[in-house]
Amino acid sequence: MSISGRDIAIRVEDLSKRFRIPLDRSSTLKHRLTHWRSASRYRTLEALRDINFEVPAGEFIGIIGHNGSGKSTLLKILSRIYRPDAGRVTIKGQVSPFLELGVGFNPELTARENIFLSGAILGLGRAELHHRFDEIIGFAELEQFVDHKLKNFSSGMEVRLAFSLAIQAHAEILMMDEVLAVGDASFQQKCFDVFAGYKREGRTIVLVTHQLPAVTIYCDRALLLDHGRLVADGSATEVTAQYRRAIGLADDGSKLGPEIDRWGSRDVVVTGVRMLDERGEADENPMSGGFARVELGYEIQNDAVSEFTCVVWLVRGDGLVISEARLAVSQYAQAGSSQRGSAGTIRYDIAELPLLDGTYGVNVELQARRDGATFDHVEHAIRFRVIDRGGRRGLIEPGGVWSVVPSEQPVVSWPDQFASTQQ
Amino acid sequence: MSAGADAALPTEAAGSAPQRATFRHYRHLTLELAITQFKLRYTQSALGYFWSLLKPALLFAINYLIFVDLFKINDGTQFYGIQLLLGIITWTFFAECTASSMQAIASNAGLIRKAYFPRSILVIAASLSSLFTFLINLVIVFVIAVLLHQIDIGVRIVFVFPLLLELYVLALGISLFLSALFVQYHDVGHLWDVLMQLLFYGSGVMFSLTYVLQRVHLALAIGQTTEIHNSHFAWIVEVMACNPIMQTVEDLRHALLTPVAPWTELVVTGHLAAVHQYATLDAPWLAPAPFVVVILVVTIGALTFRARARSFAENL
Repeated sequence: MSISGRDIAIRVEDLSKRFRIPLDRSSTLKHRLTHWRSASRYRTLEALRDINFEVPAGEFIGIIGHNGSGKSTLLKILSRIYRPDAGRVTIKGQVSPFLELGVGFNPELTARENIFLSGAILGLGRAELHHRFDEIIGFAELEQFVDHKLKNFSSGMEVRLAFSLAIQAHAEILMMDEVLAVGDASFQQKCFDVFAGYKREGRTIVLVTHQLPAVTIYCDRALLLDHGRLVADGSATEVTAQYRRAIGLADDGSKLGPEIDRWGSRDVVVTGVRMLDERGEADENPMSGGFARVELGYEIQNDAVSEFTCVVWLVRGDGLVISEARLAVSQYAQAGSSQRGSAGTIRYDIAELPLLDGTYGVNVELQARRDGATFDHVEHAIRFRVIDRGGRRGLIEPGGVWSVVPSEQPVVSWPDQFASTQQ
Repeated sequence: MSAGADAALPTEAAGSAPQRATFRHYRHLTLELAITQFKLRYTQSALGYFWSLLKPALLFAINYLIFVDLFKINDGTQFYGIQLLLGIITWTFFAECTASSMQAIASNAGLIRKAYFPRSILVIAASLSSLFTFLINLVIVFVIAVLLHQIDIGVRIVFVFPLLLELYVLALGISLFLSALFVQYHDVGHLWDVLMQLLFYGSGVMFSLTYVLQRVHLALAIGQTTEIHNSHFAWIVEVMACNPIMQTVEDLRHALLTPVAPWTELVVTGHLAAVHQYATLDAPWLAPAPFVVVILVVTIGALTFRARARSFAENL
């Protein structure tokens, strides 16, 4: 049946989508009747422009891009929820009708009733749901809550139920929008196990997410959207790297983040933050394992404040906090010197930067020593890109030591129950 | 074994098999949604489903007390009380069905923005859940009719089904039209409230068409009305005769509650007979008019819905 080895599951040709956003919000009948002559005023938003790509059957493809880049719109067009304004979308195979977890859940219904209702939306028959009911409930670990109303569930329980139901779908093509955004670490691990299973079964998966590591690990390929245009289409590693660089560059302008990412009483303010190399020169591209210094300027604006705590966090591009370091600063400490002033510089030196290739940021905060009240907090005060010569992926370099011990027979073997599943 | 992996891919299904599967899926979804909605209507109330029986019974009691007991009104037909009850539950179905189905799209915004399925399923499900209540109520009327008046339901019950279908199709057509417009213009909700008030009086719920026609006759006979009044009256009667709700109510009454329906007298003639009885109204075209109205309404409703359905997800 296939000519080139693999069938094309999704083909998108010259796809464009515009949204018309009414400038005057009153869209009542009266308004339409009284203003029928004057054409309604709209602002046109070009959500997608001339998108072209193909997805072979069985491929796991990730769609990334900043908020408002058109990722979700594209996914909705692929799932037939939105209609394209121009271009063509050809899809071969059954598409799952779900975009997010828990669609169709009703808080007034019990877990059992919700499984049958939401399952119906997924395309599962009643007999089939009966047959798999125990499996669904078991996977969600909700055996004791089968006949409890959903409104009494914690959000975690609800997500588990939604997920264990969603994975029952037979669809050959699965569309998923930010399913990873919910749930704790163990839930995300479950997601990935299921994804891996899908991949083995040869299902086609389109995943929209902000979680770049997930894209690099699980996706064969990634698309990068920017302002409605497809700006990159290639291997997941390359495209996510390009996106990381794009984010890093976009915020290159000022050292201080925008006002919206800054808060506090301003009794003591951060006057600036920069990153330096060992020669004391500004360097926002430190080497993995190399020297890096974060330098922070402060100024006390309220004379009643004589001591404060300085906190420096290293964060990943997506906001994940990697480390936290604190320093108590007291003006009395400087009293001996002639330099008793109301301003100064705080340095935080890292001798061997334990971060791997990627874009990171620094959050800083000056807070009251007594109660931790915030004087000045600056989110993403600076961004920096770590370069790893070896091109290693990941987050940290744990400083592990390698060794090899040869032997006649294998010494380390799998646990018994695991060994049978191998092969 | 990459070749093996390829072979394991589900081969693209050809022919009508997937279409049948899709149809089954949508039918199942429609029923599941309808049943859920029916259930939800009665959750959080102590009496539960019992309300679906209690409500028309109480409405009946109120109307019976006011019209039959207090004002001694009787439209001349036999068993006015049970006729009134049948009229009330039929009207309640129509009113509830259109009012709740109108919101079927707007109140399911989350579902529409996040999952794909034919949008009409939501409206059909909402209308079906009203139909369930109606069917339960009808059974109650049967039981009362048999117990109280020894009416022999027998084979006549067969005639009820085409009438129910007609009324349901009408309600669905209106629901499709209203729900599609309601997404953008909530005005139609208020407009429909007012229109229903008018429809109620024009649907012969309280008085049969026969009663209205008799009154007109009487007025003419004793010279209480002028020719101008009469032409005015005739116009109203003509419009009422076109009303499919009035026709179904009349015919349901005729089919179920006329003491002994002679076999020669077809069920639908309940309405026809009344129209023809009105001698001064020489308008044979009125007989099929209600059916034409139903077909027109459902066509316009379905076309309006189809044209607007594609942009629901964006407009909600």
